Amino acid sequence: MVISPELIELITGILSFLITLMILSYLIGDNPLFRIAAYLFTGVSAGYIAVVAWWQVLLPKLVYPLVSGNPMEKAFAAIPLFGVGLILMKIWPRLSKIGNPAMAYLVGVGAAVAIGGGLTGTLFPQIGATINAFDINLVPSDRPLGFVGWILNGGIILLGTVTSLAYFHFGANAKPDGSVKRFILIEILAWVGQIFIAIALGVIFAGVYAAALTAFIERISSLLKFIGLL
Amino acid sequence: MRVLTAVIAIAFGLLVLAGYFIPALHEWQTLLLNWAMILAAAAAIVGVFNLISVHGEKIRQREKGNLYSALLIISLVSTFLFGLVQYLTQGAVRVLLDDLMSTLVNGIIFPAEAMLMGLLTVTLLYTAIRLLRRRANLMSIVFLITAALILLGTATLPFGDMPVFSGLRTFITQTLAVGGARGILIGVALGTLTTGLRVLLATDRPYGGK
Repeated sequence: MVISPELIELITGILSFLITLMILSYLIGDNPLFRIAAYLFTGVSAGYIAVVAWWQVLLPKLVYPLVSGNPMEKAFAAIPLFGVGLILMKIWPRLSKIGNPAMAYLVGVGAAVAIGGGLTGTLFPQIGATINAFDINLVPSDRPLGFVGWILNGGIILLGTVTSLAYFHFGANAKPDGSVKRFILIEILAWVGQIFIAIALGVIFAGVYAAALTAFIERISSLLKFIGLL
Repeated sequence: MRVLTAVIAIAFGLLVLAGYFIPALHEWQTLLLNWAMILAAAAAIVGVFNLISVHGEKIRQREKGNLYSALLIISLVSTFLFGLVQYLTQGAVRVLLDDLMSTLVNGIIFPAEAMLMGLLTVTLLYTAIRLLRRRANLMSIVFLITAALILLGTATLPFGDMPVFSGLRTFITQTLAVGGARGILIGVALGTLTTGLRVLLATDRPYGGK
C-alpha cells in the first residue's frame, strides 16, 4: 500500500496545524489542549531519540563490530558491551548500583572532555583574543581613528573582561562587627563589571527574542497558509 | 565498589585528558570517546525506559492526568517501533514507514519545537516588563535599554533605516558586549575546569560514590 505524496502532505499539514494551535492556546493559560500537545511531543521525541540512539550509535558502533568485525574489533566491542550491560541494570532500582562503574566511566570521560574543551575551546582562545586586541600588526587599514581607535577598542574590551570577572569574585573578609564585605577595589571593579554584564545579557536577550519572533511569525504564517488552502 | 568507581572515573578521565596534549595518545582518546558514546546511547535508552515506567506507574495507580501519560506512552512506543522496523523492511512497507516517520517528525516534532520557541516571544516580553516593575535598578535598566537598542538597530523600521541605531548597535555588539561576554565565558570556563578537576580528583562523585 503506497500513500500518495499529496495525502501525506495533507496529513502532515493537519497535524502541524493542530499542534501549533494547541501550543498557541497556552497564551490563555495552562489547558488540556496544551497538555495533550506537550505530552504527545515528549512521547514522539523520546521515541525518536531511542530510534536514533539505536540506528546511529548502538548498531554501527557496537552490534556490527560484534557480529561481523575481525577478532580485534570484536574484542574492543566486547568492553563497551559489558558497560552497556551494566548501564541497563539502572532500569531496575534493586540492581541499579551495579551500573555505577559504567556511570563512573561516563562521568570521568565527560569531566575530561569538559576540561579539555574548556581549556582549548574557551579559555585559551578568549584570552588570546583579548591580547590580540592590542596587536598593532592587526589594525585594519579602514578602521575609524586608526591605531588609537584600535587600542581604545581593545582597552574597553579588556576593562569589560576584567571587571566582569571581578563581579563574580565572592571572596570577602569578616569585619570585627561581624559584617562581611569585599575589598573596596573589587567592589568598584564589580560595580563597573555589572554594567558590562548587563549589556552582554541585553545583547543575548535581543538575539534570542529576534529568533523567537522569527519562529512565531513562521508558525503564524504557516497557520494562515493552511487555512487559506482549505 | 566506591573505590572501584572512583578509580575508573579518575583513570579513564586522565587518559582522555592526556589525549588532548600528548599526540601519541590521540588514538586511545578516540577509542575511549567512542566507548563513551556507546554508553551514552545506552543511557539514553535507559532514560526512555524510565520515562515509560514512571508514566506506566501513573496509569496503574490511576493518578490525576493518567490519560496524558497513556498518550505519552502510546506515542513513544509507536514512534520507537515504527523507527525500529523502518530499516528492516523493504518495498512498499518501507515506503509507508518512511512516510509515517517523516509525518511524525514534520507534523509533530518540528511545529511543536517552533511554536514553543515562538511562545518565548510573549514570555520574554512579559518577563522584561515584570523586571522593570520588580527590580528597577541600574543593571535592569542598562539590560533593557541595550536589548531595545539592539532590536531597533536590527529591525527594518517603517520609516526607513536610522544610521544612529545601526552605528550604536555595532559599537555595543562588537565592543561593549564582547567585554562582558568574554568575562562571562572565561568565568564559565574556569567553573567548568574546577568542576571537572573535582570529579577527576574524586572530591565530587556524582556516579554513586559518596
